[in-house]
Amino acid sequence: MAADTATRVLFDEPGPRGRATIRLATVVALVLVALLVAGAVRQFAVSGQLAPYRWQFFTYTAIVQRLVVDGIGNTFLATAVAAVFAFPLGLVLALGRISHARMLRSVSTGWIEFFRSMPMILVVYAFLLALPRFGIVLPVFWMLVVPMILVSSATTAEVFRAGIRAIDRGQWEAAQSLGMGRALVMTQIVLPQAFRIVLPNLLTGLVSLLKDSTLGYVVSYGELMQQGKELVAYYHYMIQTYLVIALVYVLINWLLTRLASWLQARMGTRRTAARPIEVDLEPAQ
Amino acid sequence: MAALTTGGRPGKDAMDTIWTMLRDNATFLLNGVLTTIGLTVLGFTGALVLGTLVAIFRVSPVTPLRVLGTVYVEFFRNVPLLTLLILIVFGLPDIGLLLPLFWCGVLGLVLAGSAFVCETVRSGINTIGVGQSEAARALGMSFTTQLRLIILPQAFRTMVQPLVNNFIGILIGSSLAAAVGVSDITNVTQQLNIRYAEAVVLFLIAGAVYLVFALGAGGVGAWLERLVTRSRIGGTR
Amino acid sequence: MYTFSRRGLLYVAAGSSAAAALAACSSGTPPVGGGSPGASGSSAGGSKQMSQADYDTIIKAGPVADAATVSASPWATKIKSQGFIKRGGTTTSAIFSLKDPVTGRIAGFDAGIGDLLAHYITGGTDVAKLTQVSQTSVDTRETMLQNNTVDIVVATYSITTARAQKVAFAGPYYSSGDSIQVKKDNTTIKSVSDLQGKKLVTESNSTAITALQKFVPGNTPTLFADNDSCVAAVQQGRADAYVLDEAILLGNAVKNPDLKVVGTPFTTDPYGVGVNKDDPTAKAFVNAFLQRIFDSGDWLKLWKATVGLYVDAVPTPPKIGSVPGS
Repeated sequence: MAADTATRVLFDEPGPRGRATIRLATVVALVLVALLVAGAVRQFAVSGQLAPYRWQFFTYTAIVQRLVVDGIGNTFLATAVAAVFAFPLGLVLALGRISHARMLRSVSTGWIEFFRSMPMILVVYAFLLALPRFGIVLPVFWMLVVPMILVSSATTAEVFRAGIRAIDRGQWEAAQSLGMGRALVMTQIVLPQAFRIVLPNLLTGLVSLLKDSTLGYVVSYGELMQQGKELVAYYHYMIQTYLVIALVYVLINWLLTRLASWLQARMGTRRTAARPIEVDLEPAQ
Repeated sequence: MAALTTGGRPGKDAMDTIWTMLRDNATFLLNGVLTTIGLTVLGFTGALVLGTLVAIFRVSPVTPLRVLGTVYVEFFRNVPLLTLLILIVFGLPDIGLLLPLFWCGVLGLVLAGSAFVCETVRSGINTIGVGQSEAARALGMSFTTQLRLIILPQAFRTMVQPLVNNFIGILIGSSLAAAVGVSDITNVTQQLNIRYAEAVVLFLIAGAVYLVFALGAGGVGAWLERLVTRSRIGGTR
Repeated sequence: MYTFSRRGLLYVAAGSSAAAALAACSSGTPPVGGGSPGASGSSAGGSKQMSQADYDTIIKAGPVADAATVSASPWATKIKSQGFIKRGGTTTSAIFSLKDPVTGRIAGFDAGIGDLLAHYITGGTDVAKLTQVSQTSVDTRETMLQNNTVDIVVATYSITTARAQKVAFAGPYYSSGDSIQVKKDNTTIKSVSDLQGKKLVTESNSTAITALQKFVPGNTPTLFADNDSCVAAVQQGRADAYVLDEAILLGNAVKNPDLKVVGTPFTTDPYGVGVNKDDPTAKAFVNAFLQRIFDSGDWLKLWKATVGLYVDAVPTPPKIGSVPGS
């Protein structure tokens, strides 16, 4: 962390006085952070939220099983199923958006722009509240997962598009001069490289999907948040329940983002040309 | 209430019902739109300020600050916004902090948004070559002059697009405040739908609001990017 | 479709030991302050806690239809051959249909009507297997019945003529109404006429929204996803009053000593059992079943084990078909 370029850009290598200042700042910061944490814990204790009986139910085997097996299990299931549909769909949309066929291009662009600007909860409400009036009621699982797919396909499409654009034009020209057609260049030369480039970004997309799955709370699909809702309905310990659930989400997503940065770092050392791509999410001109 | 039985089928009566609904609830809908704008603008502004501060923490030579910044970013980047909002709305009062619902929404968006803004700012500064600041320091520029003339202008150029994305993220995220009782446009359309059962029209309205704001933000971003590119000659790499 | 009873089975074994531990804990360390005793339904708990054992006894003691009665209805025959009822409802409605996270069992007054009906048709004695609950919302109930996604909807489902155009209603099996919950120290709100200009909350998935529209026009209530959010909103001062079904509010008042229910219900909500319209025998069959449990006293026993824990006035069963739309 200390080797962050930004640190070196912003701060000169400290001299003796600089080091003394840093030491002092470190002590002051430590004290302030400790005070902050202690204050927060004290507030919790004073309001009685730390009382053991309010946390005890998390030690019951059946509750842990419900949260881990049912809750996390269903969260993973919804995320995985959504990803299995959304990622290929995103690739198709990305190819559509850069294709030479105008019809295909405008449909893909329209789809991407629309769903990139739509809040997931609005799409969920459409499936929960609007479609039933036309006789369409999806099972609760799909009421959550279909909106996840729609929204994620748009953002994934932009990730793929950025990955494809990151491939040097020279590669296109070289391949085409060898007599390869556009489709062949795309599938044989460009996509395999693009896949490797976007892999970390796809993992980040997985984190977004996982966070979106919390809307199972709205449609009552038994993922982690909904399990929390059921726990609260029964035990009434709201803060405790959602605090634990928040930490579980942070842990899972943190592991996924770690994996993403590890992949990115690993690629960085192996490919000279690979710089972290800034996914270009600029709307179509 | 005739709409209850006609559903969303078009027809003269249905059109009249929709019209009456829109007229009777014009202020309600407008308030919803304004609430969404308020959440987004305040959320983004707060995220910009706090995110920059955390970014400074994260790159500072003071270790506890760096650790604090990292823990902050990892927590708020990875916690689902809905979970965070529920904790703010129902958790904070129990530890003695009762904010109005609107401000709960703003707080949630600022906390979550700043984690993303922080990373944008940090990677923006990261794109600047160490040589640039070394040269500036060699010329005897002070820290603030260096920041003002050399680092920030260059960093900002690469940050425009990611910041637009952060803005759109906060705009879209603001809709989750609807699930904790904030009367933004999503919440307003949901309430009207319960009363009038005109789901299609209402969802089109809400969808249009987000679409217009997101595309608008994209447009402003593109304009800003052109502006900063034109005003400064010379690449960052 | 998310099915609870099948999953619930997995937990019966694990749950019973944990429930025993819970019972020991709750007797050892009594909860203090405004917190509510989160005793498990299967634990000994306090006198005001719904007991899963009592509930199961009531269901198993319910009537069973003879073969001729079942075979007279294609609808009932189908349910008998599938062995359980697919009920549309919820898992988070206190008193009416609430899931115990430890055992995975769903119990309450509405759950009981569904389980009694399933027991009546199938004769099954494993109460946990009698029904499979599918989550329904205000917006999906009619369509799920029309599409036969569920066999019945028992979910504080008010009978209205508009709904009766799409689905058939058996019953009413219970008549309830919306009431008002405020903090104990609140003296300004005594009835529905005091609600104008006050900050109100209700559940986003409830009929109370339309009731408020009618009785407190112009007031925009804040909507929260569930009962506990609404309770917290009143306790924390975000809202002055919480409007919902009286039984649920009375239940809240028992669990939260800082809350009370004021006045009498200002709406009449006749709850019905929703069934598909296509097979007319379905409605007739459920009506006959309801009359049977009214007469046998099983209905009252179920009421006493659930709603009756919080409501004092013992009700008489409503008259079948007495409401427009039923």
